Amino acid sequence: MKRYLVLAVYLILVGYSIAEARIKVTGRGDKMTFSADGIPDTYKQSFDLMLVKCIKCHTMERTVIAVQTGRAPITGQPFNKQAVKAYGIKMLRKPDSNMNKKEIRDIVVLLNYFLDENSK
Amino acid sequence: MDYGRVGRIKRTVASLCTFAIVFVSATCAYAIPAFTRAHKVECSTCHTVFPELNEYGEAFLKNGYVYVGKGKKKIESEDAVKAPVTAGEKPAADSVPASNIQGVGDAGLLDKLKAASLRSTEAPASASSPVPAALDERTAMTNQKSLSEGIALSGVPEQLPISFTANLQGTYNRDAVNEFDFSTRSLKLAAGGNIKEKAGFFGTYLLYTENVDKSANTSTIPTNMTGKTDIGELFFIWRHALDTGINLKVGRFQPKLGLWKSNNKVSIAHPYAAYSYTVGQSLFTADQAQDALEANMILANRLFIAGGAVNRKNQNTKEWYAHVSAKVGGADFLANEPEIDLDKEESVFDFLSLTVGGYWYAGTNGDPNTGVVVPLRQNKFYRAGVDLDLLYKLFRLKMSGIVGEDDNPELNYSEPTQKSTAATVELQYTVLKELIGSLRFEYLDVYSDGSTRITRRIIPTCAYTPIENLKITAEYMHEYGDVYDTAGKRDVSNNVGTLGVTFSF
Repeated sequence: MKRYLVLAVYLILVGYSIAEARIKVTGRGDKMTFSADGIPDTYKQSFDLMLVKCIKCHTMERTVIAVQTGRAPITGQPFNKQAVKAYGIKMLRKPDSNMNKKEIRDIVVLLNYFLDENSK
Repeated sequence: MDYGRVGRIKRTVASLCTFAIVFVSATCAYAIPAFTRAHKVECSTCHTVFPELNEYGEAFLKNGYVYVGKGKKKIESEDAVKAPVTAGEKPAADSVPASNIQGVGDAGLLDKLKAASLRSTEAPASASSPVPAALDERTAMTNQKSLSEGIALSGVPEQLPISFTANLQGTYNRDAVNEFDFSTRSLKLAAGGNIKEKAGFFGTYLLYTENVDKSANTSTIPTNMTGKTDIGELFFIWRHALDTGINLKVGRFQPKLGLWKSNNKVSIAHPYAAYSYTVGQSLFTADQAQDALEANMILANRLFIAGGAVNRKNQNTKEWYAHVSAKVGGADFLANEPEIDLDKEESVFDFLSLTVGGYWYAGTNGDPNTGVVVPLRQNKFYRAGVDLDLLYKLFRLKMSGIVGEDDNPELNYSEPTQKSTAATVELQYTVLKELIGSLRFEYLDVYSDGSTRITRRIIPTCAYTPIENLKITAEYMHEYGDVYDTAGKRDVSNNVGTLGVTFSF
């Protein structure tokens, strides 16, 4: 009985926390990604692009946590708008990232939107 | 033509190549998974295909094995940060120190930040970026298990910073006694890291490499190589000594001469000619590990200078060296990304980076001062070289040239001063993230074994890393040239194919 109670409390806490997050996400762990719900139409194309391009070398969870916490999960560096641009440039220059400048720009703009939404 | 003599030369060259393959593979193949474990990053963060470094790996190396940007406590507020590109908006001028935005940092600190400091007013994440409570609590619980304050305060790494690298190779050389030789192998231990960002350390220890001596009976299992140099490198770095920005490095290491350390390449079997040639009886090479003291520092993020003194055992005379290199384009020596306007059309300069380096080394070797031979038979020599590293999208061009002079390379004063020249040009292409091809051309004009040898090498190489810590390398060396000695001019030709598997853990 005690175990069920702990489990119920845990599930409530998890559900509550996700509901409270400013950026909506779906899935957990490696499957975690941004929710498409509520994303303005102007960003839909960039969002679809990001879902394809940005999971080539790392999980989307890494990006989600960076946006949510304001810290890049691997490096611990601040993940703000300036950092987003720097990461964009890094990905642009990364051999075999297979992204052109416009694609990088679109995703940078999208991540800036996520950061703005998350800070509201 | 004296075919018997040509045959002996071929066999000698083949033996030397085989020895070089064994020796080089044993001394040069070491990536460091310890860094991956310590910093929780992929191998590809610092390597193209290991052990070749990319520009972030170079920055890590130059920074004394500390993630660049680590320890910078000040975090710019969002207000101070220039808004990057937004839809329909021109970006403002950069207003934030680049050190805050580079892709490097402290994973351990991040854990602490997630667990506790996110609630602190010092961390902007807590103020501007709410974290789901469950995530925060989950991380806190994890950290309670993994983070020990005692360990952190003592500066001891949480995980033992040790790695192993194994290397297995097969070679084909139709001029060798054993045409198909699958017995080349080595196992190396490597350790490295930093001590509270104040110091760095690195060491390699050769645990095993195949004995190159001929056994009397082929039924015996080859033993460990006798007389090998067990400790390849072992050095300590005092980072930013007395808060000056100067790093002091002491121990056994490769003095900073060329742009690349001896293992910093795609090939596993063939060292760069410019770094590895010897003259006469002198075994000095530009990439030789030496007992040395070095000071180095980064200036203006894009200029690196180094200089030092080398001590030879039982020799009073010290040797001296200096290095300077500069980088244009690409990430700087502190791994800061270049400023690129994402709103503008793509330009060649968005993807172009050029690093140029020059070095000089002067020394003496030969009879030790403890010897009974009087006068001492010593060789005074110098080397001066220039390197170039050009990166453009999937292409990378490495060029290296060196000239040298030895006044007594045979240590008998019977030969005049010998000049030497070597050059290497290597073009790499990243076919896929895990597949790199390279084509190298080398020119070598050196005095060796009583003759002047002018040789050329063509070395195509293909390296594949299906998993980041596992590399399969196929390479081929075609060597040809002329030997000039008292008997006149002779042709030399040598061909060696190598297939190698290297894995680190």
